[in-house]
Amino acid sequence: MAKLSIRITKSKIESPKCCVGVDTGGTFTDFVFVSKSGLRVFKLASTPGDPSIAITEGLKRVARKTGVRLVDLEVVHGTTVATNTLLERRGARTALVTTAGFEDVLAIGRQARPSLYDLSAVRPAALVPSNMRFGIHERVTAEGEVLDKLNEDALIKLAGKLKRGRVESVAICLLFSFLYPEHERRVAAVLRALGVPISVSHQILPEYREYERTSTVTINAYLQPLMGSYFKRLRNHVRNLRIMQSSGGSISADVAAVEPVRTILSGPAGGVVGALRVAGECRIKNIITFDMGGTSTDVALCDRDGMRMTREALVAGLPVAVSMMDIHTVGAGGGSIARVDEGGSLRVGPESAGADPGPACYGSSLFPTVTDAHLILGHFGGEGLLGGEFVLDEERARKAMAQLAIDMSKTGGRRVSIFQAAQGVLSVANSNMESALRRISVERGYDPREFSLLPFGGAGGLHAFELARSLRIPQIIVPTLAGALSAIGVLAADVVKDQSRTMMLELGPGIQTTLDKLFKEMESAAIIALRREGFPDAKQRHERSLALRYKGQSFELEIRKTNGNIGAAFDRAHKERYGYDQVSHVVEIVSARVRSSGIVEKLPRDRRSSSSASDKSEYAKAARRGSAYLNGKKCRVVVYHRDKLPAGTKLRTPCIVTEYTSTTLIHADAGAFVDAYGNLLIQLRHGES
Amino acid sequence: MKSKFDPITLEIYRALFTSVAEEMGIALRRTAFSPNIKERRDYSCAVFDAKGRVIAQGDHMPVHLGSMPMAVAAALKETELKRGDVIALNDPFTGGTHLPDVTLVAGVFEELKGEGRRAKVTTHIRRDWNKENQSEALSELSPFAFCSSPLFYVANRAHHADIGGAMPGSMGVATDIYGEGLCIPAIRLVRGGEIDEDLMRLILANVRGHKERLGDFQAQIGSLKTGAARMLEIVERRGEVEAANYAVHLIAYSARLMRHAIAAIPNGDYEAVDVLDSDGITDKEVPIKVRITIRNSHARVDFTGSAQQVAGPLNAVEAITVSAVAYVFRCLIGMDVPASAGLMEPIEIIAPRGTVVNALHPSSVAGGNVETSQRIVDVLFKALAQALPDEIPAASQGTMNNLTIGGFDRRTGIEFTYYETVAGGMGARPGSDGMSAVHTHMTNSLNTPAEALEYAYPLRVRSYSIRKGSGGKGKHRGGDGVVREIETLVPAQVSLLADRRKCPPYGLNGGKPGEVGRDSIVQDGRKRSITSKGSWKLGANTRIRIETPGGGGHGRN
Repeated sequence: MAKLSIRITKSKIESPKCCVGVDTGGTFTDFVFVSKSGLRVFKLASTPGDPSIAITEGLKRVARKTGVRLVDLEVVHGTTVATNTLLERRGARTALVTTAGFEDVLAIGRQARPSLYDLSAVRPAALVPSNMRFGIHERVTAEGEVLDKLNEDALIKLAGKLKRGRVESVAICLLFSFLYPEHERRVAAVLRALGVPISVSHQILPEYREYERTSTVTINAYLQPLMGSYFKRLRNHVRNLRIMQSSGGSISADVAAVEPVRTILSGPAGGVVGALRVAGECRIKNIITFDMGGTSTDVALCDRDGMRMTREALVAGLPVAVSMMDIHTVGAGGGSIARVDEGGSLRVGPESAGADPGPACYGSSLFPTVTDAHLILGHFGGEGLLGGEFVLDEERARKAMAQLAIDMSKTGGRRVSIFQAAQGVLSVANSNMESALRRISVERGYDPREFSLLPFGGAGGLHAFELARSLRIPQIIVPTLAGALSAIGVLAADVVKDQSRTMMLELGPGIQTTLDKLFKEMESAAIIALRREGFPDAKQRHERSLALRYKGQSFELEIRKTNGNIGAAFDRAHKERYGYDQVSHVVEIVSARVRSSGIVEKLPRDRRSSSSASDKSEYAKAARRGSAYLNGKKCRVVVYHRDKLPAGTKLRTPCIVTEYTSTTLIHADAGAFVDAYGNLLIQLRHGES
Repeated sequence: MKSKFDPITLEIYRALFTSVAEEMGIALRRTAFSPNIKERRDYSCAVFDAKGRVIAQGDHMPVHLGSMPMAVAAALKETELKRGDVIALNDPFTGGTHLPDVTLVAGVFEELKGEGRRAKVTTHIRRDWNKENQSEALSELSPFAFCSSPLFYVANRAHHADIGGAMPGSMGVATDIYGEGLCIPAIRLVRGGEIDEDLMRLILANVRGHKERLGDFQAQIGSLKTGAARMLEIVERRGEVEAANYAVHLIAYSARLMRHAIAAIPNGDYEAVDVLDSDGITDKEVPIKVRITIRNSHARVDFTGSAQQVAGPLNAVEAITVSAVAYVFRCLIGMDVPASAGLMEPIEIIAPRGTVVNALHPSSVAGGNVETSQRIVDVLFKALAQALPDEIPAASQGTMNNLTIGGFDRRTGIEFTYYETVAGGMGARPGSDGMSAVHTHMTNSLNTPAEALEYAYPLRVRSYSIRKGSGGKGKHRGGDGVVREIETLVPAQVSLLADRRKCPPYGLNGGKPGEVGRDSIVQDGRKRSITSKGSWKLGANTRIRIETPGGGGHGRN
């Protein structure tokens, strides 16, 4: 018997297994999988009509290459379906049930207009029109007591009405339901008879502020049917499917289908997780990620506490108050168009040439864009894009830039050359992106000088150096496979469950017992759930935190200290962030939070072969020498091919490093070398200014 | 000024200075205590050059747009601002708007790094001085002045939920400024980095809810620190001279954009009249008249013929009128533009002294800021609609429906004051319907969530909905107003300051006017109408119901 059981275990281990990370973007769907020889990456053209077509196509290819059956692939997916559904308003016919008298909260929002001085501004329409919003007679007070009982007769009538109205999903949000959830539960129980997905506010977001909560739960209901069927289509092909959440961990497709609002930033979150993995390889904690593509740029900040989270995100103009990675997006990328405005200022973006017609150098438009500026200044090393597959029309780029130079000359009253114009376009684009980087760093009290910049995406490496210089960031890390970092990230992400309980209790003696009890409750629930997903206790991690504020304030600071002198820790945090504290003031615990992670197996580290001498002083072999404009001056540069750089070698600067999906620009005031994993490390020398 | 500048650097400074103002706003909101600041964001933050001219302002409250500069000018005129000082003021007749809006101003001083550093700065300036001697920023300052006087100023203004006076919330119907609350001339509330405890105690002794007020003052001071630190970073990174020069360039840039916008208006004289329902003392309508003269890139806005200042609190001080004019013309620019002093350069305003658009001491002014400012906007757009019929919307609700409730909170054992403004309908546009249930023109403060309100005060929101059908009919419909009903859980004093209850928001081009607002008190199921301006003592469990006006329609059906 013993022998047999050993054999079974063994065969279990040997059964072919393969993990695949899939990230769908606007243009390409990226696939990353683990093979015997390490991480492998490929790209397929996306199928925006139904992203699952490209995905199954790619998964079949992975199956063929690895010899693992398609259904046995373990797939983790970063998706943009939720975001696009919201942006394009293609979601379900949703009904909203509220406390009577508050049916219009969703439409009124916070009563503010989106733009102060724009007479033609419009607010995004409410996701649920007024004839689909229903008030139900009931009321709970701010103390969590029932003031008016739930009207059962009205509830039965409502169920009939919704049935006749052929609703496809239902959102329920009653006032103070996070204090007293019984009414919401009862409404949900009766409406389950409709047989459509139901989203309940105290489950999705048990926190105060009714508009933000209603918005979040409505978005969830709006996405549920579509996301459910999308995941189902994928599940027809693969049994084991996990979905990346906006908060940076993955959840099972079953959970994601119930709470799709948690997958809105799925793709960009994958990028940040991928960046964190690279940071881990380099043994650093403080990074600012910089993902620059064709039309937009995503930036985020991570420190010793990991990634920064927010509960105040706006997506497609609608508040999403569940915990998401604090990723800031600006409408500036390689395709951003430059122009001189009526007052004589040079503007870059937000208008973008996109992929079609594209920048002037793509051959069909005459829009001077950021990409054209780089081309004119020689930043592509004379090689075009995609390893030379995509030829750029430099003549056309110059023509577009020449017109911009004329416009600039008129304003400034002095002649501007096309090189100066191109340099100007980059400076303004950099200043837009610098503002974005500042917003997530300096404006939140983080000093960029204590961080490393981690650029990825097609254009990240072209701008990283100048951005690091203006923000005095001392080091840049350009990861290997920068073009597919998001897909790597979803594959590397842990399984994460976030829980939060609103407390609204003053910090004082005796509170510790209450806290410990609450934390234990949340943790026990998470332990069982993670076990069910196949994580033994040793592979689980539970992190406690508290959201605190001075009683009377509206915004909380989250701190990790959950026992001992919590008050003093909060005073310090407040002082650090806002420059002062109020030691004598009462501190209030707004909520207790637990983040539970199931730790996934680490991806294999793809160590590169060292150069034969493995001597750090050795310079890598250049592909070529050329010239380019850097800081407005023409200079000689070395051109390297990224895939031919051995680990441990140094690069001569200034230089241009080209690879299949991206280009990196390194100015003279820096040291650059290739680490054991093939990452490019750039140390800036900041002179005293 | 016709000096050379670099378009790239200009854009960079625009972003830098604006981000400072925005960041000050975030710091203020996150640390404030009163729902009016932290939830409703009834505040503004701005950055000024060494001469006190505004160079950037956060996208906060339009009504503060033109009036913040006057506050800084008044602060600098009245008292000397030294390192570590913060000046506070709210006097409507010297830099303020109405008493609840308290403005704090601080200087941005170069960091002290000993004599050596100072010498270095001086030579640095001399060198640059030779290179760019046309620079206006330096022309009136000796190099040494740079070391002892502020390089820039930062300021914030927040609406405090109470500033004393007869009525909780300080927004009642008084007949002079003394009845409206505590008037603070420009005084140094912080000296050398330390709050003047005596002054603070004096202020707090005169206002309701002193704990909340103190927390808000501290948040305002903290926000100034944030702003000053960020400005210093810019100076250190890019140099005093460049930063000062580009502040001047930004002002000129705004002026150019404004000239461009005015030049797009056909030359001519455009006149209009609109009225406020009443001043809260008598039922007499209060007319506001304007004549806008456009000559190429210059505009003259003449309010001659407007009513004399009134007995009730509907008087606007000059700063308000300037703000309203600045707002209207800024809307015409049609793009993002720095909110700098340059905006007003090509605009001349004639607001006769002693009228309702330039009221004098000691008239009462609480509603000038919030009600009269809206009517000034209405009358300006009405005149401009003749020149730009394809751009100008019909009248929006034209009031802020100011509601204040005060009393004693048995739960906390302290007195409370609650202030809010209620949204209404926006006027229909030539190409689209007006937005419903939205704040328009001179304000953009948020609502207080019902759940936040009920946590903070002994009040209960009974309904909050769109007032369907209240928007004016037309080819394009005016936006609908709002119905908001709040119940008192303890005896309370309620004040209302609202308008457009008699004279409706106008339609344009054949569109019908919006519905007028309605207000009532509901007790034991019985509803009685109340006037738009007044105060009432309510027992516990009484409801006040506000129905706000709809916007005017545009175009014939």
